Amino acid sequence: MIFRFLLALWLAKIAMVMSKLTGKGRGSSLPGMLALRICPDILKHYSSQTGRGAIMITGTNGKTTTSNMLAGALEHAGYKVINNREGANLLTGIVTSFIKISSFTGKVSCDYAVLEVDEAAFPVVIKWIQPRMVTITNFFRDQLDRYGELDTTISKVVGALKKLSADTQLVLNSDDPLVAKIAAETGYQTTYYGIRPAAEISGRASYSREAKFCPFCSEALTYAVYIYSQLGDYKCPNCGFTRPVPDIEAASVRHRQAKTVGAVIRSGSSEWRLELPVQGLYNLYNALAAFTASIKLGLKPEVVIASLNRYLPVTGRMETFKYKNKKVILALVKNPTGFNQALDGLLVGDEEQDLLIAINDNDADGRDVSWLWDVDFEILLERQERFKRFICTGQRAEDMAVRLKYAGVSVAQISIEKDYNLAIQAALSGECQVISMLATYTAVWPVEKILSGMSERVKFSEDHGMSSVS
Amino acid sequence: MKITVCHLYPDLLNLYGDRGNVLAFVQRCRWRGWQVEVMEVNLGDPVNFADVDFLFIGGGSDREQNLIAADMGKRVENLNRAIENKLVVLAICGGYQLLGKYYRTPEGKEIPGLGLLDIYTVAGDTRLIGNVAVEAELDSKKTMLVGFENHGGKTFINDTMPLGKVVSGNGNNGVDGTEGARYKNVFCSYLHGPLLPKNPALTDYLISLALERRGYDLELTELDDSFEESANKAMVKRLIG
Ligand SMILES: [Zn+2]
Repeated sequence: MIFRFLLALWLAKIAMVMSKLTGKGRGSSLPGMLALRICPDILKHYSSQTGRGAIMITGTNGKTTTSNMLAGALEHAGYKVINNREGANLLTGIVTSFIKISSFTGKVSCDYAVLEVDEAAFPVVIKWIQPRMVTITNFFRDQLDRYGELDTTISKVVGALKKLSADTQLVLNSDDPLVAKIAAETGYQTTYYGIRPAAEISGRASYSREAKFCPFCSEALTYAVYIYSQLGDYKCPNCGFTRPVPDIEAASVRHRQAKTVGAVIRSGSSEWRLELPVQGLYNLYNALAAFTASIKLGLKPEVVIASLNRYLPVTGRMETFKYKNKKVILALVKNPTGFNQALDGLLVGDEEQDLLIAINDNDADGRDVSWLWDVDFEILLERQERFKRFICTGQRAEDMAVRLKYAGVSVAQISIEKDYNLAIQAALSGECQVISMLATYTAVWPVEKILSGMSERVKFSEDHGMSSVS
Repeated sequence: MKITVCHLYPDLLNLYGDRGNVLAFVQRCRWRGWQVEVMEVNLGDPVNFADVDFLFIGGGSDREQNLIAADMGKRVENLNRAIENKLVVLAICGGYQLLGKYYRTPEGKEIPGLGLLDIYTVAGDTRLIGNVAVEAELDSKKTMLVGFENHGGKTFINDTMPLGKVVSGNGNNGVDGTEGARYKNVFCSYLHGPLLPKNPALTDYLISLALERRGYDLELTELDDSFEESANKAMVKRLIG
């Protein structure tokens, strides 16, 4: 029904303009929600218009960064790309992205759709858009309410993948046993990427490790090198399931105490030098995923490397503000793995800093805050002299204060201020030139709103010290 | 003085930040100036429970239960003797269920537990999830324990003493108003949070029982618990008003 489609499209477009006018621009899923209400199969009208097809990126962490890197590389090579850039990765957000660039007659003109898709929404989204390629980053435990469901989530993703056409291509992380197993389960043509398991990149915290058992025979996996969370060089002593040799591998990795990541990317006998302007091994994984997908789509490796070397993180998940002469960094933390990576980021550099941590326990944050005890706050004590004050805010500010106390932070450095305004004012009024703010999902918005009212938003900081961790 | 803490299967049973219980016990001993050794005991690792002052058993997901039940089977006599000799134990969620007689699956199959406590667990049709407040009596002092429960099994404790009375939430089974179980110096609970950091009265009670078992009769130095108390009170206020 073309009339229904157009009605949905126009009303959604009006909603988009309205939300811009009223300044409530955060509602990136509202137009999509409205359109779906009127025309549930709206994506069908668009799916045939993505000339060279759709590429989907799913998994727990790294979806936004990976899809932005991939879209960037494709654009760098001259293609026109639709991308749900702000991380609106549910069905409604994806619909909104299409509506945004759609003409009033419902036409979109693009070569590729690069879509990050929430793991839980994946089975729904593929009903309307069949991707030619699916990239899976990793599977970590997310909000702990949902912990028992990680197995269920993975099997739903696998179930959905099996419904795709036989020539679907997969790009999989070889270092995550929960991801690597999917090649055998689906039988699709798979390209693996991974980091060469060298002792010097081996990680320390094992608190939030997820898969310790062989996904095929339940025997405990053994690790020759363990990178972080359950990622590493694993092997099942019983059935022989083992880390696949990656087709694209990063070696000679430099990442500790630096604001960039350097590596040599190898494929067969060719190699390229990667100098990512963002930090953290997790960003190297994101870059590897984007590189591998790009190569499989026929891009020239040199073009992709050049694009990755210029990668700038999108604002939204990580934002930098300037308050007087101080630098304020705001980042979203949503699970133990991501929180640990954000803390790793804080350790880089030599400036003294104050820390504000905002923890909420709404549904979107996870109602159980026990996961804070799976975060390795103890590592902050390695550079104890650099962290001056810890200001805890949000609905569960007290729990955060208790956690820091038991991590060994001195009580005199910790304060509880449940009011966001007062907490932020306290954080900004200290002696430190750098203030880092970490907030859970529903705490990020109020913190950001208050911050942008009293300070200047910096588009791109000169250093990308702490980038998106999701 | 040196205190020995045993964390059983930290690699397998580490659901919902439960290692925070070990951390709370250890820190509150260290803040009082005592030395603490933490033994992490995994599948097959040797341990004599008689030498342990505090044993912690956390919860795990279903796929881990079989491996653990098999390994625990070899340790059960040694553990039983230590428990009868007043070993201080904290068992949470899956660890709690494991100490009981059996776990009955939705298909009616009874998976045997260690049988150290006269309790049993039945798979429920809905998970019991949410914040909980429990009134407990510790060392004849009333105290309000808070935490977060998330369990599919419903536990029935027969004549075993409960840890406390549910004031808000579900507790053992959502029916009889009990939460957790106590036997000698064994304390069981469904509460995550984790339990000990936000309930320092319980932590200190476990510490004093452990010292008593070693033959020390000393009054614990008071610590500044203002953060712990405000976290506890904030939740009590939210749940009860
Ligand atoms: Zn196996």
